[in-house]
Amino acid sequence: MSGTLTIFKKEVKGFYANPTFWIICFLVSLIFSWIYPIQLNMFAQLLMNYVMQQGIPANQLNIHYGVFLRQLSYLNLLLIFVTPALTMKLFAEEKKLRTFDLLLTSPVTSLQIVLGKYLAALGAMGGIVLLALSYPVATAALAKLNWGPLLIAFFGIFLVGGVYTAMNLFCSSLTENSLVAYVMSVILNVSIWFVGIGAEVVDSEVARKVFEHVSLSTHLSSLVEGTIRTNSLVFFASLIVLFCFLAERVVESSRWR
Amino acid sequence: MIQVKDLTKDYGPRRAIDHLNFSVNKGDVVGFLGPNGAGKSTTMKIITGFMAPSHGTASVAGFDVFENPLEVKKRIGYLPETPPVYADMYVRDYLRYVAALKQVPKALIEKSVDMAIEKTNLGEVQNRLIHHLSKGFKQRVGIAQAIVSDPEVLILDEPTVGLDPKQVAEIRDLIKALRGQHTIILSTHILPEVQATCEKIIIINKGKIVAEDSIHHLATMEQGQSRLLVRVHRDVQDMKSVLSDIREVVSVQAGTSAKEWRIDVRGGDDVIAAISSRLVNNGLGLLEFSPSKLDLEDVFLKLTYGEKGGEA
Repeated sequence: MSGTLTIFKKEVKGFYANPTFWIICFLVSLIFSWIYPIQLNMFAQLLMNYVMQQGIPANQLNIHYGVFLRQLSYLNLLLIFVTPALTMKLFAEEKKLRTFDLLLTSPVTSLQIVLGKYLAALGAMGGIVLLALSYPVATAALAKLNWGPLLIAFFGIFLVGGVYTAMNLFCSSLTENSLVAYVMSVILNVSIWFVGIGAEVVDSEVARKVFEHVSLSTHLSSLVEGTIRTNSLVFFASLIVLFCFLAERVVESSRWR
Repeated sequence: MIQVKDLTKDYGPRRAIDHLNFSVNKGDVVGFLGPNGAGKSTTMKIITGFMAPSHGTASVAGFDVFENPLEVKKRIGYLPETPPVYADMYVRDYLRYVAALKQVPKALIEKSVDMAIEKTNLGEVQNRLIHHLSKGFKQRVGIAQAIVSDPEVLILDEPTVGLDPKQVAEIRDLIKALRGQHTIILSTHILPEVQATCEKIIIINKGKIVAEDSIHHLATMEQGQSRLLVRVHRDVQDMKSVLSDIREVVSVQAGTSAKEWRIDVRGGDDVIAAISSRLVNNGLGLLEFSPSKLDLEDVFLKLTYGEKGGEA
């Protein structure tokens, strides 16, 4: 396991000591600093006027739904494009610059290489989630928050980010070209949201259930509402393991190809 | 130390190396010589466990590279054709990382890094970004990463390619300095490099070993003859007639002018002495008289490109 730790440390340092990561953080915070106060303001006005307005869904009067979940959906959108930017270099660049030779001739297994890099990318992606979380936390100065659902909702988005990270790491392992890895990753990140659509077009009950279970949004929606379900955790974990496994196979394949 | 048996590697339909057999003893410095595309890098990659052979086995220190790759990799320092350095890391941090990767115990990492920096003369750049280093320094960082874990076996793939003559000399000196502590395999297509650093050479061509012997043997084995470079003060129109009655003279070729000659002779020192005294006695004004160092090159060309290539 020391191999994993060594690679993890190096890659995390590579992320956090690199200006690119901080530029990404800056841009993300720029977007949130623009949108978040607007959301908060709209929510405050809604609360002032709700007596006079008819037919507002009750949950919109809850700050969790009215503000935080909207921010989460923006965060999700950003992660779809930002996670590939974080992971694209992890393997592609190593292959291109031939530093991959060093990893493959060092006493580490393919699994340790993939795990070290995955955990490091998770650390960078988690940093962006934490950055987003700082906005609701700052709101605590103005309002009384229900911390449980908030943290669980962010945990949910972190898990989705974890799935993106695993998929994008896999994409990076497939190519020597960072740009190709990026485009592939974004397409994969977007398309995973469309799998669930199948549930609306199939007739058979079993098929519908299957589609519902493999839909990312089904599992995320329970988490963002503040409930942790084991089947969701298992689902996210199995996606992550699947793509890490695939990446490991690709890395291993360069030894016998 | 290194045993290679029936090693074969196919890239699709192309056979890169074909049933290689050789062994390297502990402490040997072996030159792996061959023209471009002969299979040198492929062989080295297999020995380092970087890729698997299609057929055959290789073992390092008794461990099979395919069955027990981690044990092999712990004992090997490898410098690939392109030094595997991260441009965005500092030299010292990079070496620390490699040392940790090679499982150098934590307490020894700083010491090993110091040792590698000292041996490769990287002291003045140790706190600079690798990105800003010149090619020669990058190459040295590459060598430093190979030796940082103090491996039993060092495998260097064309360590001097693309360097200026001074850097080449420095790297050769470094390899000489490493001799004795490590078993070294050095691949190259540059002959003087092998002559300068290795004790034994393996010549490989089109995936097959064409010669395997000590440098001294190879140089004399092929011809049993040696070449003399002669420079005289006076123009000589026909050197052949001057030396005509010395039977051991095989051929005489003019050099760049009528003052420089290449003389191939068969036989030992007495023949050489006879020629030198002949030149002096004829009052040609002998300025320079040296046995040529080109022998190995001739052998190499003959073995890899055939007789015709040798003439070219």
